[in-house]
Amino acid sequence: MTGRLPACVIDNGTGYTKLGYAGNNEPHFIIPSAIAVRERPGGSRIGQSGEDLDFFIGDEAFNAKGYSVKYPIRHGIVEDWDLMEKYWEHCLFKYLRCDPEDHHFLLTEPPLNTPENREYTAEIMFELFNVPGLYIALQATLALYASWIASDVKNMLTGLVVDSGDGVTHVVPVADGYLIGSSIKHIPISGRDITYFVQSLLREREPNIPPEQSLETAKAIKERYCYVCPDIAKEFSKYDEDPRKNYLQYTGINSVTKKPFNVDVGHERFLGPEIFFNPEFSNPEYNTSLSKLIDDIIQDCPVDVRRKLYSNIVLSGGSTMFKGFEKRLKRDVQRLVDGRLRESEELSKHKPEPIDVKVVAHAMQRYAVWFGGSLAASTPNFYEVCHTRQEYEEKGPSICRYNAVFNLV
Amino acid sequence: MAYHSSFDKSKFRVGNIAVLPIRTRYSGPAPVETSTENEDIIDEAIKFFRSNIFFRNYDIKHDADRTLIYLTLYITECLRRLQKCQSRIQAQKELTSLAISTFPIPGDADFPLNGMFTKPSHDENDKMKQYLEQLRKECSDRMVDRVIDPETDKPSKWWLCFVRRRFMDKSLLNIGSL
Repeated sequence: MTGRLPACVIDNGTGYTKLGYAGNNEPHFIIPSAIAVRERPGGSRIGQSGEDLDFFIGDEAFNAKGYSVKYPIRHGIVEDWDLMEKYWEHCLFKYLRCDPEDHHFLLTEPPLNTPENREYTAEIMFELFNVPGLYIALQATLALYASWIASDVKNMLTGLVVDSGDGVTHVVPVADGYLIGSSIKHIPISGRDITYFVQSLLREREPNIPPEQSLETAKAIKERYCYVCPDIAKEFSKYDEDPRKNYLQYTGINSVTKKPFNVDVGHERFLGPEIFFNPEFSNPEYNTSLSKLIDDIIQDCPVDVRRKLYSNIVLSGGSTMFKGFEKRLKRDVQRLVDGRLRESEELSKHKPEPIDVKVVAHAMQRYAVWFGGSLAASTPNFYEVCHTRQEYEEKGPSICRYNAVFNLV
Repeated sequence: MAYHSSFDKSKFRVGNIAVLPIRTRYSGPAPVETSTENEDIIDEAIKFFRSNIFFRNYDIKHDADRTLIYLTLYITECLRRLQKCQSRIQAQKELTSLAISTFPIPGDADFPLNGMFTKPSHDENDKMKQYLEQLRKECSDRMVDRVIDPETDKPSKWWLCFVRRRFMDKSLLNIGSL
């Protein structure tokens, strides 16, 4: 182990890419997964010399004039490998500033990624960047590792991961480090939907917000003031009784006139995140609450892991960071479970052993996947399960179709 | 889950809506609630209004839920009128006239909730009309108290912001007359 440089950990998400070196608590860079390229009328991107280097990634992509901005990742899965290759190139050389021949790499993949995609990743990593070792980890498993820093959780590799970012919310059951693929579900409610809902509530009430800034104002209010309440009708009464404490004010700066504007912030504080529990507030087509979905998924899993899954529901991603989120989720799932146990008791006249629902929230929740990767890649075991360059040269990219689970102890 | 009325053991009904005791000085078929502490159905409807207004689906569990639905939709009408009001006095006038204006009852062709509410029998027709009017009058009075801010004498924006939402995608007025 001595003298080995730390592994690079890269978590490519739909919205943001998190990069850094293993062993750290937080990623060094969190940049948009966007790339700006020059597009010629024919649509082809290959051609003149020097063009290979003519692109920008991350925040710079949005500032580049005369380029078109692309997102190579859709719904968590890489769609455009040419662009992804370029994107990684900049990640390594411009951001991490590393020599890829000296570092092992840990990349992440979404649930239900295809084996072919793993091969493409391996080809790029081994042949273009010449990395000494590569491991492709499941995001859900990494989120489970990350939850181990919550003190009362004992190194469990079985758990239900609720991963909610800006674009999508996945609920993924994991048993002994492996996905239960048939039971993975996602719901069309995520951070962006909360922003839109807050925006619509503000639009109905606050005329002061400049229309072109309404989205960013809603986003700022969501991030700063929103929380999850136990019961919305009671929360309304609470606001009536003590308006001073609950109605707040947000001050923004008009981007054109540079003058400040004031916005009153009220019920959207708790109504925003409520759409996880009552999706019909914002989405007329979808009406299954997150708690019901979790309960359904666990019921769909093999019977011997159900209790373990109920006792280890792990949160990950920025949209699970609302205050009160884990309490509400625990209460709602517990209610569903207790209701079912009561029914079965009535039918069978036999008292079942109660099920204790536990929702794990922890300090590293926001970048849980990256942090899990950082933990994993700093153990000696990581280097044993990594696919090495030698192996790749002997057998080809197919070795990366399968990535062994490893046990951090 | 949307909020339901707690008056699930109502004794009287007209058509299929519950006739519940209310605290009011207006006469009508509803029994008078004398206690000032207990909530009546109108208090309940106003309390749940701001939460229930967001729901598109609502399962009716018992007769009192229908009374609640009617009141919820009526509150939206109140807000619609209050939007234009500049003072408490004007608000009182507007809402009193709204309460006694001609309105359809279940079974009428222009009543919007005929799928959920049954037509009262012939001899109950008047009772239905009077009961709904009693509810409307009392609800109007309480809405003025709730929505008009005593400090500014104007309707509160924390209530008016719900005016454009439609509970269960329904409205007491026909879309054409908006």
